[in-house]
Amino acid sequence: MIGNEETHDVERLLPPPIKRIVVDEQLQPTIVQPPVADPVAATGPSAGAVRAGARAHRRGTPGPERMTLDGLSVSYGTKRAVNEVSLPIRQGEVLALIGPSGCGKTTLLRTLNRLTELTPTARREGRILLDGQDVDELEVTALRRRVSMVFQQPNPFPMSIFDNVAYALREQAMKRPGKAAVEPQVIDALRRAGLYDEVKDDLSRPALRLSGGQQQRLCIARALAVRPEVLLMDEPCSALDPRSTAVIEELIQELRSELAIVIVTHNLQQAYRVGDHVAFMYLGDLVEYGRTEQVFAAPRAQRTRDYVGGAFG
Amino acid sequence: MLQRLRKPWPDQRAERTLGALASVVLVLIVLMIVFVASKAMPAFQHNGLSFFGSGGDVDRQIDAMVNTGAKPAPGDYTIGAWPLIYATLLTTALAVVGGLAFALLAAVFIVEFAPPSLRRVVVPVVRLLAAVPSVIYGLIGILVLVPLVNDHLISSGRKQSVQYVISLTGTGLLVAVVILVVMITPIMIAIIVDALYAVPKGWREGALALGVNRWRAMWTVSVRAARPAIIAAVVLACARALGEAIMLSMVSGSKGFAPNPIDGLTFIFEPLRPLAATIVEDADSINAPAMSATVYAFALLLLFSSLVLSLAGFLAKQPMKKYGIRV
Ligand SMILES: Nc1ncnc2c1ncn2[C@@H]1O[C@H](COP(=O)(O)OP(=O)(O)OP(=O)(O)O)[C@@H](O)[C@H]1O
Ligand SMILES: [Mg+2]
Repeated sequence: MIGNEETHDVERLLPPPIKRIVVDEQLQPTIVQPPVADPVAATGPSAGAVRAGARAHRRGTPGPERMTLDGLSVSYGTKRAVNEVSLPIRQGEVLALIGPSGCGKTTLLRTLNRLTELTPTARREGRILLDGQDVDELEVTALRRRVSMVFQQPNPFPMSIFDNVAYALREQAMKRPGKAAVEPQVIDALRRAGLYDEVKDDLSRPALRLSGGQQQRLCIARALAVRPEVLLMDEPCSALDPRSTAVIEELIQELRSELAIVIVTHNLQQAYRVGDHVAFMYLGDLVEYGRTEQVFAAPRAQRTRDYVGGAFG
Repeated sequence: MLQRLRKPWPDQRAERTLGALASVVLVLIVLMIVFVASKAMPAFQHNGLSFFGSGGDVDRQIDAMVNTGAKPAPGDYTIGAWPLIYATLLTTALAVVGGLAFALLAAVFIVEFAPPSLRRVVVPVVRLLAAVPSVIYGLIGILVLVPLVNDHLISSGRKQSVQYVISLTGTGLLVAVVILVVMITPIMIAIIVDALYAVPKGWREGALALGVNRWRAMWTVSVRAARPAIIAAVVLACARALGEAIMLSMVSGSKGFAPNPIDGLTFIFEPLRPLAATIVEDADSINAPAMSATVYAFALLLLFSSLVLSLAGFLAKQPMKKYGIRV
């Protein structure tokens, strides 16, 4: 929801116009922007100078642990895509997953709600706990309702906006509920995804006629409708323009209080803006995990320094 | 000439050439309809609407036409073709409904649940089955199914109970529909399987990621998105069933009789003969003008129904366009 009084917020989140090409270890050029338009931050990445504006919402104390990855490995056939990763995912926080292309971010994310099981060659080792319970002991459909996912490419179903958001609600019910029965939940989900004001005139419009950014927010609304506890987002903004990206980032800020969010991103500025914690992966290994400020300002590992250093140095 | 074809064509020239070809095809179709309609005219003129009715024994009426002269009297055209029309509709509808149910389940199984090793075998086999000439199915029907039905399914009591009306010999509605189903189902499976594979992966994953199980995700998202292809499959299957002549002529019993559902179980054993089978069987006695006009009238009915089918399929797909399903 972008009220007028919040417009300056959006602008602050918009990337500044300066762009540089940084080459990471795998020689993949990544377009990055300095994190803040603020000249102080642009001159040096000291922890003190880095904060102000966008990260002011940060909480001091970590929330309770929602999910725990314990020695998680995933292989496709003989190829190991994720190697012994252990991580906490906390309630009320955003975990940003960064790393060069092909390092296993998507694989890790899809393992959390057991979507990797759809790939016949994929094999998983290690444990994933949701509220202390092993996810393998849960019914897979129940798990996926609690740990929902938003994909890189917006994928609204070829139905109306309303039917998209109502889809999971209807599928969940024993007896298919009528339009009136699910309407409050649909509207609530659209509100929470910040889409309601833009589409309220006609919810029967085909979802695929929305803009890319609106489609992605519709997918977020669709995921939120069943009230998940954890929201996984795989590069949710990579197909979007800066303005839609800003809207979604703001949405993430608003949602963080009610859910645990894991977001994969190639955009280091985005990781910096939205993440409470950052995990840096490299060739399947978890190289560094820590509070965002610490990972960006004073990374422990050389690899992390090389990867994030380009963005801020 | 060949060299000119190999060179890149300017878009305009390609457009004009293809447009011209399409127009030629269209003109040919129109000419064909006009030709068949004009030939069929006397049959409709002399019978009026009772052509579509059920007056008298249609087989006797057709036999009588064979012996009419070169200048037929109006009475020579008399026919009530309802039993043949009804047989066409009945066999087509039963076969397509049964075949569609089976094809949908089979396609869903192949795409979603079959182990890859089984899938690699089944899909080519289905395609092969779709290409088997219908006369082979007819042969299997008459050599295997008909004796089976005659010996084991129809009791002699049942035969006696209707012996003064019709003789039950195993050929009839049941065998005709079963073989039609076998004939049209592989095509429908092949089309629906392709369409299900073409459904964007993101839709299916999106549904699964919302905690919907594979079976429901399949029906509510993939099959829904594949509806245009399902409609196309139904249209094609209907067309094939409507136009099937040889096989039905072999196993339908070839009687101008209208099986009656109120006969209970006997209904499914009763013989019949659809329009297309009637056309092949009577094509050699077409020298008599009355006969010729009648056969052309049957042909016009078939032609007309395939046009109606295509149109119905087209119209049925229109509402789906709105939501972004590829039609
Ligand atoms: N279905 C699959 N079958 C085999 N290998 C796969 C499959 N999916 C991914 N991989 C491999 O696993 C590794 C990790 O892939 P993954 O998609 O998780 O990377 P990623 O970090 O998300 O990359 P990107 O940033 O480009 O999206 C890659 O080397 C990839 O080739
Ligand atoms: Mg990825």
